[in-house]
Amino acid sequence: MEIKIQHLLGRKVCDVDGNDVGRIEEFRVERDGKACLVEAYLIGASALIQRLSAWTLVRPINRFLHGRSFYSIYRVPWQDMDLSDPHHPRLRIAKRDLRHAK
Amino acid sequence: MKKFLQIALGIVTSVGGFLEIGSVTTAAQGGASFGYKLLWAILLGTICLIFLVEMSGRFSAVSKHTIVDATRERFGFPFFSIVLLGMVLVAFLVLVAELGGIGLSLQLLTGIGFRWWAIPVSFAVWLVVWKGTFGLIENGVSLLGLVTISFVVAALKLHPDWHGVARGLLPSLEGDQKAKYGFIAVSILGASISPYLMYFYSSGAIEDKWDVTYIPINRIIAVLGMSFGGLLSMAVLAAAALTFGPNGADITTFDKAAQIMTSALPRWGLFLFAVSMLVACLGAALEISLAISYFFAQGFGWNWGESIGPSRVARFSLTYTIIILLAAIPLVLGIDPIKVTMISMALTAATLPLAIVPFLFLMNDPIYLGDHRNGWISNSVVAIIILISFVLAVISIPLQLIGG
Amino acid sequence: MDLVRDVLDKRLVDREDCEMGRVDGLVMELGERSQPRITHIEIGGNALWARLHPVVTRLAAKLARKWGPKRAAPVRIPWSRVITAGREIKLDVEAKETGAIDWEIWIARHIIERIPSGGHEEEE
Repeated sequence: MEIKIQHLLGRKVCDVDGNDVGRIEEFRVERDGKACLVEAYLIGASALIQRLSAWTLVRPINRFLHGRSFYSIYRVPWQDMDLSDPHHPRLRIAKRDLRHAK
Repeated sequence: MKKFLQIALGIVTSVGGFLEIGSVTTAAQGGASFGYKLLWAILLGTICLIFLVEMSGRFSAVSKHTIVDATRERFGFPFFSIVLLGMVLVAFLVLVAELGGIGLSLQLLTGIGFRWWAIPVSFAVWLVVWKGTFGLIENGVSLLGLVTISFVVAALKLHPDWHGVARGLLPSLEGDQKAKYGFIAVSILGASISPYLMYFYSSGAIEDKWDVTYIPINRIIAVLGMSFGGLLSMAVLAAAALTFGPNGADITTFDKAAQIMTSALPRWGLFLFAVSMLVACLGAALEISLAISYFFAQGFGWNWGESIGPSRVARFSLTYTIIILLAAIPLVLGIDPIKVTMISMALTAATLPLAIVPFLFLMNDPIYLGDHRNGWISNSVVAIIILISFVLAVISIPLQLIGG
Repeated sequence: MDLVRDVLDKRLVDREDCEMGRVDGLVMELGERSQPRITHIEIGGNALWARLHPVVTRLAAKLARKWGPKRAAPVRIPWSRVITAGREIKLDVEAKETGAIDWEIWIARHIIERIPSGGHEEEE
């Protein structure tokens, strides 16, 4: 099955129990020779900040405003993402089992 | 030596970029209506522009990307298309005003109405872009623009009240006619902080193949160049204040505006005013035509370059050809360029956030800029400009309706 | 490598460093149990306009069928042709042969070169 990356971008993702996890903001890939393999999907508001390379701007502002440290990027390995319905991506695991991306 | 020449020419480049029909009209109106009291608006606009221009040049010299390139890459096509739409529509209106300014200048010199000049002027502008190179446009028109120093001469000949000038550099809230005061202040800021200048300057840095060694030169050009332009605008305001006095008549025609020169220089004033406006508006028209074409070409990944033959940058060439042709139409139909100017300045102010907010992100991007990212001073200034731009965005259209 | 930050919307150049447009879309192939892979880069056509709104896509397709090189579908370049992905994405192709610059060639031939001085000139 073919899926366009740009149509998945920003789509809301639910976990296996139907709980909201966040939106797909990035696709981490690995180049293997002439192939390009999807390793993981990055989900969450902080992933958007990462994509905009905006941490150098956001962190100082957050510190200035004495905000709570926030960092929510979930790294979802490709095996844990069900894209059989590209309009409604779902995880194959529960939200509590997700790991944060570095 | 080449870098030194760039400084010298960069200073006079501000003539076409900074001083044009918008800044002259708004400064003249400000001086005629409120004396020296709106000098602070020109000063504020100049300071903001110095920072924005310096950042634009630095961004391109270090990253080898233009601002438009980076906006598309970093924010994606959907967001980019919103910025494209906003910036291009407003820039187009400003282009109509500038072409009209050239027409009005020729009307002053020849007596032939500006409507008759619309098509020849558009053709002439197109021909310079079509056959010229970036160097010709950057340097040639700017050198001709030295004639605009006559605004400074006129202001000095009218013996300004220097205490009044100093007081006018500090913001004040006008007693009565608050809406009109606010509208002209907003228009002056809109005329000064023109996003198209940032996009043009950033593209110019790539056209001129700048690298990190140009960062110091870029800083000098931004400070001295934009200050020169700001000084010229202040001279227009002061000359208008002295010619018409505060609470003077509204300057709604070019003939009236020309009095700021003829009162100081009776013999040559009209000629100098017309030629100054012609050169300044020509420079601005060339810059805006290219800025709009750069926006499309860089955004969509077409070949682009002013110094490359038109057929090798076919879509880029077609874009500026169509833009310049379309801009002549409102003028042929007789729409008053001065009215278009005032509306376009207010709309520029209203759409500033679209240009400045993404720019703040780009200037802090470590991938593009590495160690040349903004420091806290530049970021603070941009944050203040964003605040100003949001305030302008909210109040400019209501003020246009009430005070315009 | 991160696809959206480092590939999508980036400039494309061919092996001669000729501009080819931008990465307007990326195609991912999903297998039943195999790791998803990026198979193609898409340039132009509805790959770009579909990112805005279906109405824009339909309008652009209608115009593309009636005018110019009459190509509505996006150009697809296999991912295997990617040489480097840095400041821009360099492809091991020749731009003219891919169809990515059909519009550029068509406009040059049918419009620009018909205007005096529109032909090839020396660079400054």
